[in-house]
Amino acid sequence: MGGFNPAVKLEERIRQALNDEFLRNAVKFTTGRLRSSKQQAAEQMGNWEEWRERGRQIRLHTIAHLDYYLNQFVQNLREAGGYVHFASTAQEAVEIAMQIMEEKQAKSVVKSKSMVSEELHLNDAMAAKGIEPVETDLGEYIIQLAGETPSHILAPAIHKNRQQIADLFSEIGGEKLPADTAVLAGFARSQLREKFLQADIGMTGCNFAIAESGSFVLFSNEGNARMCSTVPRTQITLMGMERIIPSWEDLEVMAAILPRAATGQKLTVYMSAINGPKRAADGDGPDELHVIILDNGRSQQLGDPEFQEVLNCIRCGACLNACPVYRHIGGHAYGWVYSGPIGAVLTPLLNEDQDQWGEVANASSLCGACYEACPVKIPLHDMLVYLRRRNVEAGRTDATERLGMKTYKVAVSSQRFYQLALKLGQFGQKPLARNGEITAKVGPLEAWNRLRVAPALAKKSFRDSWKELDMELQHELVELKPETKARMEAILRKRGNSHEN
Amino acid sequence: MKTEKKSVIAELHEQSLQKQETFIKHIANRLGREQPLTTPPKRSVSGAVDSWRTHTLDPEERISQFLMNWESLGGSAVRLADMAEAKNYLDRLIGEMKAKKIIREDHPELAQIVSESPDLHLTVWGDKDFAAMRKAAAEAEIGIVMADFAIANTGTLVITSTPQRGRSLSLLPTIFVGIVKAKDIQTKMGDVLSVIQTWNGKEMPAGIHFVSGPSRSADIESDLTIGVHGPSIVHALVIG
Ligand code: SF4
Repeated sequence: MGGFNPAVKLEERIRQALNDEFLRNAVKFTTGRLRSSKQQAAEQMGNWEEWRERGRQIRLHTIAHLDYYLNQFVQNLREAGGYVHFASTAQEAVEIAMQIMEEKQAKSVVKSKSMVSEELHLNDAMAAKGIEPVETDLGEYIIQLAGETPSHILAPAIHKNRQQIADLFSEIGGEKLPADTAVLAGFARSQLREKFLQADIGMTGCNFAIAESGSFVLFSNEGNARMCSTVPRTQITLMGMERIIPSWEDLEVMAAILPRAATGQKLTVYMSAINGPKRAADGDGPDELHVIILDNGRSQQLGDPEFQEVLNCIRCGACLNACPVYRHIGGHAYGWVYSGPIGAVLTPLLNEDQDQWGEVANASSLCGACYEACPVKIPLHDMLVYLRRRNVEAGRTDATERLGMKTYKVAVSSQRFYQLALKLGQFGQKPLARNGEITAKVGPLEAWNRLRVAPALAKKSFRDSWKELDMELQHELVELKPETKARMEAILRKRGNSHEN
Repeated sequence: MKTEKKSVIAELHEQSLQKQETFIKHIANRLGREQPLTTPPKRSVSGAVDSWRTHTLDPEERISQFLMNWESLGGSAVRLADMAEAKNYLDRLIGEMKAKKIIREDHPELAQIVSESPDLHLTVWGDKDFAAMRKAAAEAEIGIVMADFAIANTGTLVITSTPQRGRSLSLLPTIFVGIVKAKDIQTKMGDVLSVIQTWNGKEMPAGIHFVSGPSRSADIESDLTIGVHGPSIVHALVIG
């Protein structure tokens, strides 16, 4: 192994350095500055719709020629000294990752956000082998400590409040920490710094892979993706096979639409292009780089006129924020890795067991707000209709009844919910989501009615969580905690504003 | 010498070469092709939207827009006449912050403006063994580098990794100082990407980092906080 093995003394010193006045003052200084700085009039890059269309075109072209671009990417990455591995299933990907980890005799692995890792349940596999997985994205770190799963692609701990976080941190820190954002973040920083310096392997996801050079690009605001690709001696990157873009110039489009759609930023604080392992004379960066390319149900969508476009998704999370159903039920109700409208589409598509997962497609109002928000214009609402049709055809109509019709019934039977529903565009009326507000248009359940062909009697059992949800739907709509919802709305408002021309 | 047994990594690599064929062929089949495509596909559009491609600011506008955007992201940005002024700026910063340990890129121009003193321990990247340098970067309060480019439109410094300029320099210290020549400020990201594109192949540095302001997170109750993993204070010095 060799390489970086920091002495305990160093950790001690870092711990001191991080907890001292210096850092605290630094944090105060910059936060104050940011809060008081007026939102600068964003320099306009022209028409958002044009950028969306361009983003869509690039993704459509890439996916339609994925065989060519994947080969090109792989060849270039190998030439740059990286290792590439192919996994048709989640199981295969886990096996490859575990073999690398065991070969490196890894004891701990620092991870930056990767939805693919969630898809693989890699943390469980690692824990079973006695390897410690450390989530380093602040939100992911919080929910890992809580033993939970993410509830939002970009804000995984949005369901936790400050006090709960303070309690969690106090427990591992062994001292009572105040529910103060700066203190809590500082605590996480010092904890995670130690983890970074001790880790044997850094693991990342992949936002985009550039075919023409074999590079891949990571977006992050905190800098943990950079840490994972800088400090440990070995790096493993998990990549869905559809993450490709052809060239560097296409990256400008992705860099323009991803952060804007996700958080309303012009660009994330860090955008890092990694081109193979470190060069021999470089002082840092990984000596060894492995990229695992995952299919896991994705190739089944290729050539399918109804669903191929789902592979265009750039995982920005905009459709979650825009979705009135998501804002009501929260991420965990979707049951699998991906939530919100994209989750309602991807979950049944990527999982084989339709009796278990088919119903997730019903967690939607078919209102179209997701399409409006999507920076690559994926017609999610159409796909949801197709999936419901599949359910109907397969006799899984119970779910459709309950989550489609009954929510509607609940809404009309209760004045309060009806108003709420209208306000949030919960039940269709083809709302157009703009600036965090949703205006009602067009008829609601047209698509529903069109597809409601003679329902067969379904005896399929629901997954437990859906049973629960269904129970609750009999009485009330399941609502997120108001504070969580307020945070969602704030995100939405911010994003909406940045789209204004 | 080497034992007969292949390393796990070598075995995985061989496995991968075989698997690649079936994996890619399967994709090609799903897309309606018998064999994978081997000639570059024609593209009707690529890169940024047409109106943006032609967008160019004059050099003075680029500078002012970069400074404004970097500031609005929570950083400090100044324009200085020359490296002598940069030295004064750095001396002041080090004094104000009471910094005791700093680290810089191994760059001739930086050698003139950052120097050691009895109260200040300076590490120059590349002049020690790797482990010692990384340790020094983790301990340093201030990290100083010359940036390759800046992008006016987004308020971004573009920093490649080289043997003289580790990735750690702009990542591990609490304060980051990036120095950029006025002539290297581009209007938009595309102008930088088209240069990077010419590096494809052997000349490509292992890491290219686009940095726009201080490290930030909104993961605790959507409340903005700074410096979760990367630097909390970031200074951009435009020279010329
Ligand atoms: S479907 Fe569209 S909006 Fe939703 S995460 Fe994917 S790219 Fe973003």
